[in-house]
Parts: sequence; C-alpha cells; structure tokens
Amino acid sequence: MMKTKLKKPEVLAPAGTLEKLKTAIRYGADAVYIGGNQYGLRSRAGNFSYDEMKEGVAFANKHDAKVYVTANMVTHEGDEEGAGEFFRKLRDIGIDAVIVSDPALIEICAMDAPGLPIHLSTQASATNYETLNFWHKEGLERVVLAREVGMDEIKEMQEKTDVEIEAFIHGAMCISYSGRCTLSNHMSNRDANRGGCSQSCRWKYDLFEMPQPEQHESVLAGDPVEDFSMSAVDMSMIRHIPDLVENGVDSLKIEGRMKSIHYVSTVANVYRKAVDAYCEDPENYEFKQEWEDELWKVATRELASGFYYGMPTENEQLFGKRRKIPAYSFIGQVLLYDEETKIATIQQRNLFEVGDDIEFYGPGFDHVSQTIHQMWDEEGNEIDRAPRAMMTVKMKVDHPVKPYDMMRKRK
Amino acid sequence: MVELVATAESIDQAKALVESGVDTLYIGNDEFGLRLPTSFSSEEMEEITTFAHLNGKKVTVAVNAIMHNDRIDKVVPYVQSLIDIGVDAITVGDPGVIHLIQSNNLKIPYIYDAQTLVTSAKHINFWAKRGATGAVLAREITHEELKSIGENVVVPAEVQVYGATCIHHSKRPLVENYYNFTQTAKPEENDLYVSEPKKPETHYSIYEDINGTHVFNTDDINLMPFIRQLRDANLTHWKLDGIYTPGDNFVQIARLFVKAKQAIAENQLTDDVIQQLNEQLLTLHPAERTLDAGFFVKDPDEVQ
Repeated sequence: MMKTKLKKPEVLAPAGTLEKLKTAIRYGADAVYIGGNQYGLRSRAGNFSYDEMKEGVAFANKHDAKVYVTANMVTHEGDEEGAGEFFRKLRDIGIDAVIVSDPALIEICAMDAPGLPIHLSTQASATNYETLNFWHKEGLERVVLAREVGMDEIKEMQEKTDVEIEAFIHGAMCISYSGRCTLSNHMSNRDANRGGCSQSCRWKYDLFEMPQPEQHESVLAGDPVEDFSMSAVDMSMIRHIPDLVENGVDSLKIEGRMKSIHYVSTVANVYRKAVDAYCEDPENYEFKQEWEDELWKVATRELASGFYYGMPTENEQLFGKRRKIPAYSFIGQVLLYDEETKIATIQQRNLFEVGDDIEFYGPGFDHVSQTIHQMWDEEGNEIDRAPRAMMTVKMKVDHPVKPYDMMRKRK
Repeated sequence: MVELVATAESIDQAKALVESGVDTLYIGNDEFGLRLPTSFSSEEMEEITTFAHLNGKKVTVAVNAIMHNDRIDKVVPYVQSLIDIGVDAITVGDPGVIHLIQSNNLKIPYIYDAQTLVTSAKHINFWAKRGATGAVLAREITHEELKSIGENVVVPAEVQVYGATCIHHSKRPLVENYYNFTQTAKPEENDLYVSEPKKPETHYSIYEDINGTHVFNTDDINLMPFIRQLRDANLTHWKLDGIYTPGDNFVQIARLFVKAKQAIAENQLTDDVIQQLNEQLLTLHPAERTLDAGFFVKDPDEVQ
C-alpha cells in the first residue's frame, strides 16, 4: 500500500521577550509570534524593539524557524499613523509574517510593505470557509481561525479553501467571539481590542431579575450559592494531534505571550514531541499520558478541548471549587555541565535548597529527577540554599544535563 | 438629511414606526441576524416590506451574524429570497457573506456591520471599496473620534442614538451552563441581568439565543442631547434599537427623533427643542433601565 506523506504542521509558540523566543525555538517551536512596540493587543506583554527583532530573526534563521509579529489591534482614528513604516521595517528586518485583524491595517500593510505576508488574526473571528476564501482572494497567506470552530468544520474548510489554516491548540481562550467583547471598555475604561483587556469575563457576577425598577432579585442558584461567571477553562489539544494533522491544520498555535520561559519551554517541548511522533509513524502512534502530565506542570486552570468536539458545557467553565493543580516552580536554568566532575552550573531563577527533589528537563523531552546533595556559590563556598535571584550555583548532578536545560521543583 | 433607522418587534409596530416617519425599518431572522427584537419569517418580512414601500420607506434586513459553515451554506438562497421580497439593503458582518455576494453577483446593497470592530473611517472605507454602501459604527467611539470619522468616510456611517447596546457576544450558552452547573431550573419569566462584583447598582442585560449569549451595557444609549453635534460631524444616519424598549413607547421615542429630524430640516433645532424632546424621551424609556451618552462624552485618552 502506498503511504501518502503527511503534511507536518508547524508548532507555533508565543514569545514575549528575546529570551522566550530563543527558549521556544530551542524547545522545538517551528515558529514564534512576538509583539512590536505598537499596534498589538498585549500592551503589558514584553514587546520587541527593532534591534531585538533583528536578533530574534537572526537566531530563528539559524535554527530554521520563523518569526511572526502580532499587530492585531482594532484601530481608532489616528492609531494607524506610522503603521506603513512599521510594516516596512518589519519586512526589511526579515519578519516572516504579520498577524493582523483590522482591515485598515491590512490595507496599509499590503500597500506600504508589499512582500510581507499577512495572517488574519483570530480577533477577526473567521468561522467559515467563505470567509477564508474572501481573505485569500485579498492576498492573505493564512487565516487564524476563531476559537469557536469545530474539527468537522476545519475538515470542510480544508477541502474548500487553499489558504493556510492556523488554529489554537493550547492556552487561555477568550470566552467571547474574539473582538466581539467590550466588557472591559465599559466596566474599566480599558479597550479590550487595543491591548487593555481587564479580563472582566473572569469576574464573579450577581445574576438577577428586576420585577420592579431598582428591585434586584438575585437568582443565583446552587448549594452553596454559586456566583455567575463567564470564565472558561483553558484549552489543550494534546490528545487530538492526529485529528489536527489529518484535517490539514497548517499551524498549531500555543497561546501566551505573557507566560514564562518555564511555560513556553514546557508546552513547546510537549507538542514538538507529539507532532513528531505522529508524523513519523502515524500507524503506530500512541498518545502518551506523560505528555499531558507535563502540560499540567505549567497549567493554571483546568484543560479542555474548547469547541473542537462540540459546544462547551458547564464542565468547561470555571464554576465551583477548582481542582487542585500540581504546581511546579521554575528554579533554574543550566549554563554549563562538566562531564568529568558531573557538576552543573546553574543560573538561579527561584529559591532551592539542599534536599529538594528537583527535575531537569531539556529539548527533546528529556527528563531526569534527583535530590540536591551538594552545591556551591560563585566563590566556591559550599551552600545549603540558593536564595539570590540569578545567582550562579554549581551543583553535583546524578545524570548528565545540557546547557539550556531547565530545573523545576514541586511547590 | 437625517436618516432614521429603527428596529421593529412586530408587524404592527413596524407599521406604526413607518407611519411615525422612520425612514428605514431594521428587521431580520435570528438565523442570519444578531440581537433582533423579533425573529421574523420571510412572509412577515415581505408584509413589512410591502407596507414600508407603499409609504415610501425602506427596509434593511440583518444578515450580520457570525456564520459557521452550516449557515454560510444557506446565505445565497436567503439573500436571494430577500432580493425577491424587495428589501432595500442588508447588513453584513462576516466577510464570507461579502465573498458570496460578490461571487454570485447578488444585486443588493450591503451595509457593513461588524459591531464592536467598526471603529475607524479607514476601516469603513476598506469595505466601501469592496461594495459596502454604508457601515454601522461601534458604540465605543468618542465624540472627538466621531468627528474625524465623519470627515473621512466615503459612505454613510450609522450611529446608534438610542437603545440597548451589546458589549459581549459568546457562542457558549453561558446562562444555561450556569444553571446546569448549579442543577437548578433557569427562571423563564423575567429578563435576566448581571451586576459587577463591586457595583450592585449595575444591571447588564443577558440572554441566549441560537447565536450564543449576549450581554448588554448597564446603561442604554441616548444621544438626543447631542444630535446637533452628530449633525455637525456629518453623521446623520441614526439607529434606534428597541430590543429592550417594547411596544408603543419605542414608537413614541422614534417619533421624538422624527421631530428632531424635522427641526433640523427646517433649521429650527434649538436648545429648547432638544431639551423638550429629551425630557419626553426620559419619561418613555423603560423605568428599570438607565440611560447615558456612553462613549460619546468620554475623552479619547480616558480609555486605555
């Protein structure tokens, strides 16, 4: 039997800073998305200067990875000023694509920076194949789907369009159709579509009827009474990699430009492993529980599959008592390893002590665990604790480690 | 010249609005349109359209839903049926619908209406180049910004001057999920509201339909006190949304805007006239709901 070669999707990771960009790529991301200083939706995420972008692009090129820049704000009058120059700069720096939702910015980019590919942001809530066809005809290279699209719908889109499809596979998701929420504008004077979202959907609300003006009759229910909330659990598609590949998703997107290098390295590592495992040998592929367990180590909420397999129910919303999530803290990164002495040099990122049970992990999903027996500070003095941020520590390790391996421990 | 666009909740109300002098009725069916007071059948829409046309008025039908594959498949026959009925225009918020209008050469004017996303003149002009004959502005726009938009748009930009305003649209059944979680029955009788944790006086309307869950701002919009500024900003297409203002009160409120329109046409729009109209409006607005001018009166720098 002839076997058709599977198209391997791209693993696309968030990178809020240059360090996160390099980490994501070392840990297996085929592409990263970053923010510039303007036109993005994450005013509080680390954003890149042009020089940092240059360095990021150079690093990515060396590792055959791509860099996209998110410029997905919904502009008001005047916000678009300077956007033409901004896009030209990105193109000349060698950015691989920009992620845009506002048609005003799309037009400026197409006119002023020809040759710079445009991806439609999920903010535009693309939910059907004709919308994909529209944007393809307009010259866009790729569409990031709305988070409300189901797997069957993706299959049909794949059959009826030629534009590249990118879909979210992991992370925190808006509870609204993206862009169609201004709770934050009205409740906090912060523009959700211009980077100011105050996450009002995650608040606890009173739900009530008003039989007479100003007479609030709360209808909150449950025992004990449960507040109303619109907050959703996070997404993880680790159990469904075959579906995503088979249905032709071109890029698998991980959410979280605000997240740490611990998060980015862990999540990119897991999806890299799973995508490689499936694409190398689809017939003998097996989902591995350890992948999901690994994702739980950096999870902040429970995980579910969003709209991919039907309408999310109450189980995919954050009501009631939260399930306890095993919390891990990121405590260090390996700078050097001496094979002869079996001593690793570690950059401290959080407190650790002799006696702690720790875990090292590195690119390629390598994991080793041990207890800390002995360590020394910069001057070679033996120490029990490593309390100072970014201090350099030498440590005897039981198994070989490599530079850029991460060190974590259970909280 | 001011153009008044008003929603209709029934055939009777539609007729009363036409007789009151509203220029365009805004109606539709929930399968294709968002947040309508009533989901009309094609037969009802035909009756309304015939009546409006006999009286020299127009009908716009909402085709502004966010469509998934199953619904986008039904758009061409639906729009064709609207053309057959003779409706004057449709609103559209999904570029897939525009793609279908173009590729099937459907002869019907469309007004771009992607709700919260329509915030600049350049955005509107993008769609005008692709055939839009107008656009509906987001509600989160300040007066300063509106002035600039009015100067720079190449097609009319519609402003909501009265009524409830949606600030959140989720595909999820958020209320049903809540009642399922708490294992209690959802109250059916009255409208539901939510209030902010630290502001018990707030009352954001919330409801579900086939398009998902919709949340409305705590204050409905009333721009009657600012109609002169709107006219001066060259923004003369005004929408009245009656989704939470039922019956004759809405018709009477529409009549107040018709009077304002006439006063403008006759160059008689004085502060006194505006104040009188506004005072009448306040008595007609549902007592359980509050009104303000929303983002119109905010400073652009106030919103971060």
